[in-house]
Amino acid sequence: MTGWHLLQGTSAAMRHPAIIGIAVFYFVVVSLIGVWATRRTKSASDFFVAGQGIGIVTLAVAAMASTLSGFAFIGGPGLVYSVGTGAVFLVLAASITNTMGAWVLAKRMRLLGEARGLLTVPDAIGARFRSPAAQGLSAVAILVAVIGYMATNFLALGLVIDAMFGTGLTLGIWLAMLVTLSYTVAGGILAGVYTDLFEGLVKTAASVTVFFFVLKAGGGMEGISRAIAAVDATFLGPWGKMPALSALSLFFVFGLGSLGQPHVAHKFYMLRDPRRLKWYPVLMSTAMALTLLLYVGVGLAMRAKVASGAIPPLVRADDATPAFVLGFTPSVVAGIVFAGVIAAGMSTVNSFMNIGAAALTHDLPRALGRRVGDELRWGRAWTLALSLAAVLVAQVSGTLVAFLGIFGYGLFAATLVPSLAIGLNWRGATREGAVASIATGLGLTLVLETLAYFKVFSLPGGVTVSGLALLLALLAFFLVSWLTRARAASQLDADVRLVMEV
Amino acid sequence: MTDPMPTRFALAALVLSCSAIAVAYALAFLPGGAPPWAAWGLALGSAGVLSSMMALGATRGGRLRPMALAASILTFLVVGGSFGAALVLPPNEGPRAVLVLGLPLRAAIVLYGVGIVPMLFLPLMYAASFDADTLSDEDLERVRRAAQERGA
Repeated sequence: MTGWHLLQGTSAAMRHPAIIGIAVFYFVVVSLIGVWATRRTKSASDFFVAGQGIGIVTLAVAAMASTLSGFAFIGGPGLVYSVGTGAVFLVLAASITNTMGAWVLAKRMRLLGEARGLLTVPDAIGARFRSPAAQGLSAVAILVAVIGYMATNFLALGLVIDAMFGTGLTLGIWLAMLVTLSYTVAGGILAGVYTDLFEGLVKTAASVTVFFFVLKAGGGMEGISRAIAAVDATFLGPWGKMPALSALSLFFVFGLGSLGQPHVAHKFYMLRDPRRLKWYPVLMSTAMALTLLLYVGVGLAMRAKVASGAIPPLVRADDATPAFVLGFTPSVVAGIVFAGVIAAGMSTVNSFMNIGAAALTHDLPRALGRRVGDELRWGRAWTLALSLAAVLVAQVSGTLVAFLGIFGYGLFAATLVPSLAIGLNWRGATREGAVASIATGLGLTLVLETLAYFKVFSLPGGVTVSGLALLLALLAFFLVSWLTRARAASQLDADVRLVMEV
Repeated sequence: MTDPMPTRFALAALVLSCSAIAVAYALAFLPGGAPPWAAWGLALGSAGVLSSMMALGATRGGRLRPMALAASILTFLVVGGSFGAALVLPPNEGPRAVLVLGLPLRAAIVLYGVGIVPMLFLPLMYAASFDADTLSDEDLERVRRAAQERGA
């Protein structure tokens, strides 16, 4: 889900020389990182897990950058503008999830990666349960979500590039793909991680700077609140304009679901020294908090401006960020923000390119009992193929893009949280439970999202497809593992058991 | 296979929390929608899910160390307490609302209580207990030795 829509109304203002200059500078830096990483990528391990050679600061900032897609800068503020504080429930759990992720996943993923030389998240599931079926099924789930995420981000990047450079949407989409592909296909995840580092710093700088202007433009938080409360009391209620059940449902899905995001979990393999994980929650939480200031601040500030009559209501909620930065910040700041928007899309896409290629090169062949000879070459080939497929989806069908983009996060959560996050911490879990939970999460998400999209059936207010699918996948995991508990001990290798016990 | 007591306790809390969420969701299917009190299932269930997952992940060698246990309990109290307060307190978000750090009281309790407060103690508790309770040099050496033996 990116929530980016057309920005034609602001495109003329976006062609300011300062904004374009900063965007060009950004593309040059990303290209240079790509060239540097390409020279250092010599093996499949380099391509998929950066040769287990990155530091903790790079890991934390890169994980933040790939977690917060363009939605955090465009769709999120638009949602805050529309429904008030309820929209913050998507990111509210970030104060907890990084520490929880460190305890639940980080150490065990990193140690298991080292013990087994693992390259992918489905690898960890396969090793934990000695199950090619669980590995293959989780790879299928990842692939479905990856195509959707990539297509929505390519479309969104194409829109921004078109708005800034006047390229037209089609060329904008292809340019976005070619730039991201050029460093990802050549430099693999090594290029991805270091561009993520740069992109993460750009995003953080943009967010903090814009929040300063939010406070300035709105007369501080008190001024913003007073302006909104004068016309709409519920907007700043604890759940905003959403029912309490809906807001809390978002908190549940985005809180627990954070443990099933493969583009974050995958990065734990890459850390050079596992003892440095000590600082992961501090660094990641700080980076997330600073980068989410824009998400929370801009929507509230724009609503306050509308409430006080300073500006007319926005035609589209997703225009909140472009309209704010073009109207209330200097051009240089606007340039950094738009570079941040591009950065957000590209950093998310390159992570998905890599884990999608890994699923095709590594996980699915293994699930079928085969091994690919030259994983580096095939990894590059599949990266190219996936990118072309995603661009074609983005170009051919806006409806399909919207549909695929809706459920990525929830699909990851429902299919990976039980088998990965609980599986790595519970010796009593079984491969039958893992397969049942992945199948339940995948099947329910696809069926219910399809029925809802075509308006055949929809869930009652407060119940989301992702929440229900995650819940039922968890219950399937517990129930089937309990029913097959006699087999649990025989499905656990000694080295995996050690990793689960230390 | 028998799990150690902390793992069993964390799993029981996790299943209980999921059940509370399931009840809240089930109530939403009733004619006329979910009653207002259904939100309590999600409020306490979500807090329970996160804190029990934390306890499950922090358990090592069959033991849940005091710092991780405290972090888990504190998380449940802060998150559950903040959501609970927001559900219990009367609405007062109009023009004369009392503002706390720039936000109406109930929104401030949720946004600062859940969104900021855990960030002030959880990462530091994790870092403070890491060497003794999470991963020592000896642990790392054991895993590396096991990997070598497997490869040999």
